[in-house]
Amino acid sequence: MTARAGRALRIAYVVAAVAGVAFFVMSVALLGVWPGRVLDRQVRAMSPERALGLTVSEERGRTIYGREGCAYCHTQQIRFVHADIRRFGAPTLAWETRFDFPHLWGTRRIGPDLARAGSVRTDDWHLAHLFAPRSVVTDSVMPSYAWLFDGSPDRPLQGVRDLVVYLQSLGRARELAGPDGEARARERCDCAGDHMMQMAFGSALNASPARTRTSGTDVPVLPVSVNERRGRQLYAANCASCHGPRGAGDGPAAASLVPAPSDLSSHEYATARIVDALWNGVAGTAMQAWRDYPPDDLAALTGVVQGFHGGQDAAVPDSLLATGERVYVANCVQCHGRDGRGDGSAAGELTIAPTNFRTQRPSMNSSLRAMREGVRGTRMASWTGRLSESEIVAVAAYVRSLYESNGGR
Amino acid sequence: MSRDEAAPRVETSLVYAHGVAALTTLFVSVAFGILASIQLLSPETGAGTPWLSWGRIRYAHTQGIMLGWLGNAFFAFLYHAVPILTGRNVTSATLGRWLFALWNFAVLLPGWILVLAGVSQPLEWAEFPIGVDAFVIAGLALAAIQFLPAFFGRRLESLYVSSWYIIGGLVFTQLAYPMGNIVPEVVPGAQGAAFSGLWIHDAVGLFVTPLAVAILYFVIPAASGRPIYSHFLSMLGFWLLFLVYPLNGTHHYVYSVIPMEAQLTAIAASAILGVTVILVVFNLLMSLRGAGIFPRDAGLKFVVMSTIMYLVVSIQGSLQAQMAINQAVHFSDWVIGHSHLAMLGFATFAAAGGLVHAWQRIPWARYNARAVTWSYWLLLSGVMMMVASLTAAGIVEARLWQSDAPWLDSVRAARPFWLLRSLAGIPITAGFVALLAGLMTGPRGAGLRDVGVVAGADPVRDMTSVLNRAGEPA
Repeated sequence: MTARAGRALRIAYVVAAVAGVAFFVMSVALLGVWPGRVLDRQVRAMSPERALGLTVSEERGRTIYGREGCAYCHTQQIRFVHADIRRFGAPTLAWETRFDFPHLWGTRRIGPDLARAGSVRTDDWHLAHLFAPRSVVTDSVMPSYAWLFDGSPDRPLQGVRDLVVYLQSLGRARELAGPDGEARARERCDCAGDHMMQMAFGSALNASPARTRTSGTDVPVLPVSVNERRGRQLYAANCASCHGPRGAGDGPAAASLVPAPSDLSSHEYATARIVDALWNGVAGTAMQAWRDYPPDDLAALTGVVQGFHGGQDAAVPDSLLATGERVYVANCVQCHGRDGRGDGSAAGELTIAPTNFRTQRPSMNSSLRAMREGVRGTRMASWTGRLSESEIVAVAAYVRSLYESNGGR
Repeated sequence: MSRDEAAPRVETSLVYAHGVAALTTLFVSVAFGILASIQLLSPETGAGTPWLSWGRIRYAHTQGIMLGWLGNAFFAFLYHAVPILTGRNVTSATLGRWLFALWNFAVLLPGWILVLAGVSQPLEWAEFPIGVDAFVIAGLALAAIQFLPAFFGRRLESLYVSSWYIIGGLVFTQLAYPMGNIVPEVVPGAQGAAFSGLWIHDAVGLFVTPLAVAILYFVIPAASGRPIYSHFLSMLGFWLLFLVYPLNGTHHYVYSVIPMEAQLTAIAASAILGVTVILVVFNLLMSLRGAGIFPRDAGLKFVVMSTIMYLVVSIQGSLQAQMAINQAVHFSDWVIGHSHLAMLGFATFAAAGGLVHAWQRIPWARYNARAVTWSYWLLLSGVMMMVASLTAAGIVEARLWQSDAPWLDSVRAARPFWLLRSLAGIPITAGFVALLAGLMTGPRGAGLRDVGVVAGADPVRDMTSVLNRAGEPA
């Protein structure tokens, strides 16, 4: 009896060992090795012929991203579900991750997905945000990475430069593949009947509501009635960090942003100008777009911004304006355009669009400052020394006369 | 079950050492967790200090819980249970001291220091860097050498179900660990993620669960004096668990680019796993037969609640793997609630139950029954508060993500729930302090008196006979 039981147990051990190992091997084969082979084939088929990997600096930035646990609050994986696609863009394909050792997909989103974060925000925004997240995004819960800087956001150490470069690379491979690459991938994925895979191609590559677009792109029509209280709340939660509580451009993040956030209180803005800046952002600056807010909210914010402007300026003699126009035509039209609409022949070459004086009227002081000192971070240079002081005053006054409060349309 | 004429020796000093290490690493890991939770409410807490930043302490938190608290508590239990289950001593007390030193001073201590210093890998449940992984693998090998040979004694005729789980856990963790910790470093992107998914589930399914379930199967009959309801169900459950657990992995990446066949396999396996756990838990609870959900014995009380939470967390897991639910709650705090119900609920209650059970039977150890009972109630209320608040947060986040609301609205909406979650840290910490007090204060030998073993009796021999009644041939 005892011997038989002992032998039975020994046979059971052998069977168990074989079965147990078989189970484990089966799981690795079915869920690891086999999917890997399918994905390898898919990567080979769908990847552009010369997909771009990461530069040395970007790789270093990626290491920092890994060690600081960024992937534990920010996924880099847009799923094949509508909610993800609508919010972030096209679902993540295997070939986009082919240089990721190890992958940084993540399983938790406290902050948004970053798979297509590149080219959504400017470097100065990232630096200000990494140094002091709440200086830029008031309600953020992101940790500060101040130790990656030499004391202030405009003095980044090499590590955080690398990190920002890496962040700007996210989603780049697929952007660079372009429409041809998308078409090629779609053709070669052998997935015509695969409803889920087709979702990878049907939508905007980058759906970020914060990404800046060309000024004037499908701006919504705003409602007339405005909820002032809601506007003030929205402004405090989203805008005051850069533009300051009273719109004076002196929020906590202002010092580290180049160009500096607009001093909203020293400008008159046509409604259309504000809506466009909110809806499309201001390309080339840290002013992101706010397309995730409904027209009601944007209208409320527009009211707040227009409310910052106060006071009437003294009348300006016609002779001064005539001088101003003469000097303006001789020096300013290449960028700002003959009519001051910011549509001069060189405007298209500029990262940051020249000011359209028809929809935006600076105060005299602000106008003079821009003429004398230029605008840091833009192509607007100082005219001191190139124009006489009287000419500067004349141009500063002239551009103010171009404003059309009805929006310049 | 037969055994040597001489009763096997429980290495009580190693039970004690690993028990102390388990509690020590537990407090460190809990401190990391609480700090991380406070940082979500007050992000400037610890700001500017790299090693106190959220990402790094989160790494230290989960690795500490899995390897430090659970790992040490499991070892403490094994030193108690293996001699009783096999009738043989563990391989060597000297080897035990090496294993103890290696696990705590070559894995945990350097692992923590390195991840806090910024040397880590961004892979879930695998954050300790590769250099430390080598020592984990060595530690698992030492543990196998220490505990497994006893199961292959010449005169052993049958194997109680706990033994099967112990062997399975120690063998398959050895195989799974390198897969999750090393393969994604050399296999890129989506392909690597497939292996990560496997490991995320294997860490729970092949390491934590088998050893925790071994404790449940051991303590319930040993402490209640009632044999296991059905040895057939025990073995059926064991084999089903080892078949379907590893097949769950890909359910961490549902709706990803990983082939849908693999995703569906994992989703189906998740459903089967839920059914299997119902079967296992049915067997365990039926074994109690009248002992009640809140039995008097403290170790048993922990273990019974662990069993119940095992059922709840498994059913929850089966549901959230299903595509319709996963689509909504994936990435949200719902999942964080789920993982805490698993690790802080099921696994911690099993580990605490196993530790208390072994501790009570160390003749020279102090024991304070009142403190342990306090610990149980404090931990239970803390876990429930935490899981409830995180689950609710997850539902709110999921709804906002499905809507057109700006992303930040989901962060703002989560805050009240995060506050509750942090407050749950108070009863949880108090519960662990009470557990520490329960094992460090009170008269020496009070544990034996508490479980009704008269002074002078041999606790090992006594327990062997109790389990022997339970441990009929599988």
